[in-house]
Order: sequence, then C-alpha cells, then structure tokens
Amino acid sequence: MVHNRAVILCVDDEDNPLVLRKLVLQKAGYEVITAKSAEEALQIASSRGIDLVLTDHLMPGVTGAELARQIKAKSPTTRVVLLSGVNEIPLGADAADIFLSKVEGPDSLCKKIAALLSAPGS
Amino acid sequence: MSTDEAVNILMVDDQPGKLLSYEAILAPLGESLLKANSGREALEQLLRKDIAVVLMDVSMPDIDGFQLADMIREHPRFQKTAIIFISAVHLTDVDRLKGYERGAVDYISVPVIPELLRAKVSVFAELYRKNRQLESLNRKLEQRVAERTEELRESEAQFRSLANSIPQLAWMANPDGSIFWFNQRWYDYTGATLDQTKGWGWRTQLHPDHVERVVEGIQQTWSAGAAWEDTFPLRGKDGSFRWFLSRALPIEDATGNIVRWFGTNTDITERKQTEEALIRSEKLAAMGRLAGIIAHEINNPLEAISNAFYLLRDHPSLDKEARYYAELATQELARVAHITKQTLSFYRESQQPVAVSLSEILDNVLELQSRRLQLNGIILEKRYRTKGVIQGFPVELKQVFLNIIGNAVQAMPSGGRLRVRLFPSIDRRNGRRGLRVSIYDTGMGIRAEDAKRIFEPFFSTKEAKGTGLGLWISRGIIQKYEGTIRFRSMRLREGHGTCFSVFIPAAMTAQPTRDTAAALVA
Repeated sequence: MVHNRAVILCVDDEDNPLVLRKLVLQKAGYEVITAKSAEEALQIASSRGIDLVLTDHLMPGVTGAELARQIKAKSPTTRVVLLSGVNEIPLGADAADIFLSKVEGPDSLCKKIAALLSAPGS
Repeated sequence: MSTDEAVNILMVDDQPGKLLSYEAILAPLGESLLKANSGREALEQLLRKDIAVVLMDVSMPDIDGFQLADMIREHPRFQKTAIIFISAVHLTDVDRLKGYERGAVDYISVPVIPELLRAKVSVFAELYRKNRQLESLNRKLEQRVAERTEELRESEAQFRSLANSIPQLAWMANPDGSIFWFNQRWYDYTGATLDQTKGWGWRTQLHPDHVERVVEGIQQTWSAGAAWEDTFPLRGKDGSFRWFLSRALPIEDATGNIVRWFGTNTDITERKQTEEALIRSEKLAAMGRLAGIIAHEINNPLEAISNAFYLLRDHPSLDKEARYYAELATQELARVAHITKQTLSFYRESQQPVAVSLSEILDNVLELQSRRLQLNGIILEKRYRTKGVIQGFPVELKQVFLNIIGNAVQAMPSGGRLRVRLFPSIDRRNGRRGLRVSIYDTGMGIRAEDAKRIFEPFFSTKEAKGTGLGLWISRGIIQKYEGTIRFRSMRLREGHGTCFSVFIPAAMTAQPTRDTAAALVA
C-alpha cells in the first residue's frame, strides 16, 4: 500500500466541505494537508513535496483551474484533480488531470484518486 | 358643326317678288336664306334641312299660312320652330294667331317695315342658335357623364377585383360605423351573407368575449375620426375561431368630411401561435436555467453531507440501529445526488469528443435493461444497418438512449415488442447527413395532452418514480450535437405504439469544446 501514504493537498475556501473531504481521504489512508485558497496552496506546494492536489474550482481569487495550471508549470508530475459543482467544464479545466463533479460521491472520489496515483509516471 | 355658323331662314310666299324683297331685307343678317313658293315646297325644305325661322305669308293659294303652320307643328321635330306670319291685319287673323301664342310665333303686318322684320327674324335666329349651342353643350355634357360613369364602373370593378385579390378580409362602413360592403374573402371565410353581417350584424361572427370591447373601441375611435386597430377572433364557417388584426381608415371627401371607413382584417393566428410558442420556449429555457442553478447550489452542501454520512456509516461507535439509520440516509442522499446529477449532467466527462459507436452504446444500454426485458416479457428486435461511429461523448449519449429505452421498457409492464433501429439518415430540415436511431415500443402510448409536455423539465407521468428530467436532458444533449429528437405515439383500440426518433449529424458544424481549448492556449 505504497500509495496510501501519498500526500494530498486539499484546497477549498469553505470549511465544512474541506474538513469532511480531508477526513474521507484520511480514512482512505492518505496524508492530507489543507489550504483555504489557491495562494496558500501554492505556498505549501513550494515548501514540500505533494503527490496530488484536490482543489475546488470556484474560489475567491485564483480559481482551481488556474491553480492546476500553476502547479503543473512548477511540477508536472504532481497530479491535480479539479472538483466542481458547476454543470459545464470550466475554462482551463484541462490543466488538471481529471475533472470531477461533486455529486460523484466519496467512493467514486477515492477510486479515481487511487487510480490516478497508481498510474505510470506518478 | 359650329354653333356660330349661319342658320337657315325659310321664306314662303307664292309671289316671287315678295320673296325677293324679303331676301333683300334679311340679307344683312348674314343668315342662309331659303325660298319656297308654296306650302308644299316649304314642307319639303323643312324635312331636308334644319330651319331656324319660317317666314310665311298667311294667304297662299293651295295651303295657306295657318294650315302650313298647323302641319309644321304636328311634326315633333318642328314643334319649336319659330314661325313669323306676314299678313294684313284682319281681326280673324289676330284671333287665330292667339292660338299659337305658346309657340315661337309672331306676326308682321303689311306693309312690312324692313327694320321690324329684320329685328324679329334676327331675334328668332339668335334664339335658335343659342338653343343649338345649349343642345350641343348638353350633348357634350351627356357624353362626359356617360364617359365618367363608365370610368367609375371600371374603377369600381378594379377596386372590387383588387379587394378580392388581397389575402385580407376587407369591408367598407358608413360614417356611423355600419358596414355596407365586404369583399369576397369575408364571405368565403365566414360563410355568412351580406344581409346577415351588414350594419352591425358582423358582431355575430366575433368571439362573444370580445364583442363589448371591440364595439366600444370602434365607436370611440370612429367618433373621433381617428384610424382604428384591434385584434380579435372571428368565427369561420367551420365554427372555429381565428385571430385577426383589424384596421380601419377614414375616407374623406374634398372638404374633409368622413364619407366612409375602409377596413381590413388580417389573419394573425399563425403569428400569434409563433409568439406563444416563443414565450413558452423562453419559459422552458428559464425553468431549465433555474433547475441548473438550484441543483448547483445544492451540490456543495450535498457533497459535504454525503462525505459526512460516508464517515458516519462506518464509525466504530455506532451500534447496529444507528448504522441502519446512517445507511438509510446515505441511500436517500444518493437519490438527491441522482436528481442533481441528471440536471447537471450537461457536464461532459472530457473535453475532446472521441469516436463513439452508437451500436455499441445501444448494445450497452440494452444489456443494462436485459433483466427488465426478460422480467416484463418484452421481445427485443434489433436492426443496425451501420456501426454508427460519430465524434461525441459516450457517457451523455448513453444517458440519452438509457432514458428513451428505459421509458419504453417501463411503458410495457406486461410485455410487448421493443424495436431498436440504427441507420444512416438525412436531416429533413437542412439535408445534413447523419445517423438515426429509432426506438419503437408497443406500450401504453403517450396521451395527447402529455405529448406537448414530455420534453418539459420536471414533467413526469411516472408519479413518484420519475424525476421528470430524463427527456428534457436527453433533448438538451442531442441539441448540443445539433441533432433532433422527435416522437410519435398512437393510441388505438387494437394497440398502442410509440416511436422515438433521434437524429445525430455525422459531423458538428461547431465544436464549442475546441474553442474552449483554443482559448486556453491563447
């Protein structure tokens, strides 16, 4: 279970969803760090190794899609999952590795993250 | 014939010497002087020529002057011919002369005074000339009147043929608003007669709900002399109503008085229907947007709650009962997620379309439904004439056919036939090539009153079981492919049938996803 010790950076401006998402991922065995904005996430990512960034798209200031672009620019091997409740794929979403709807649910979220982390190149 | 030319003066006397002297006296008048030696000769002249004045001696051998005058008067043409008798003044003659008083008759006694004779003849000649001028003028006037009458008849005929050729119903009304004329189209449309609809009788053709308003409007506007306009339904001869836009203009005479109203009624039923359809589709679009916004707002807390129950469900502190509650809550949350996912499933799982085989998608959907098909006793008939490969997004296409096939299966709870066909086709609207999928079932059919609404969001015939979003979403997806989704349903005594037909063009003209990608690169 090498991947279970992977480090995931969770980004969301809302507290409850952020905390619950962190707990779900921790339960799945990951090490989870949280950030409340894209700016904070970029600071953390520059100071330590991150395997995967799970970010909400709609946030005040820098959006999730823009965060994905900046993360990939600095560290192309870091996986980025863009999460959103919107019904259209946001502009620039293809900077992320995958785009996920929030209604997919925790099981699906964990499965997709696991698949992404075990894919070659990680 | 000029009216200024000389007139004929007939002089009658049996003595040639007298004729010569009259000729000498009258020559200065410049008229044309004719001579007759007897009454008989005089009559011949009268019949041959237009005579202005007859100058005659009373005493002549065969026919005397009075006899000749009587004969002249009997002839209708000469009743107004002026006669001047020349006679010695006998009492008897004067008495007889009185009998002619009403006509243009005069007499001159002998010896003849040349100036007097000349003056009298001149007066009668002038009178004759004036009469002739008047007659000629009358003839001209009559001619003009006849010509104008003909012109009017022609212009009236032209107006009528014009009024009958326009697509509108046309009419004319008196200044008081009572109609006295309709064009043929009015009679063709209403099936009514002039007697039934003239005056204010046309109100019987008007929809009862509109009579009061329309009549009041007409009376108010027309008493002010202003142009009038209104819309209302008129009954056709088949008893059904159609909407008309009615307009009337006052026709004024040279002094500005309104002499009549001219009006037209234009059929605006289709325009009205189009407008209503537009309002309806805008309303639907607004509903769709609202549904999307609400679902989106629900998604954020929904994710958090789902995660919370996910954590709670397996929490070690929970006893069996609490775990059961958490399980129930999780299941119900899945239903909420399903609804919002349906509404939001406009989202695509990837940004670039991929090659999708419609036959594979249909097989996939039918595989998912196979248990239901078997349980319900439905006979499946598949006919694919092509693999049906297009560029698209498999998940959403699968959703479209899952919705339609799922509905078909649910419409046949006690068995039936399901026919699924896939074949190359052409969009009748624009001739574009593409693929058509037709899904036919022998289920319960679609009621006519439901047919109009089945593509509306939140419309469902499945009571509590359906979200009412399936077909609405399916249509939204197919429209993104610039395709169409249509259906036909028949409910007959010997059996019902419903056929959904989905057309997807082989290639999209616009690919918004590419544009998004291009914008990102830029």
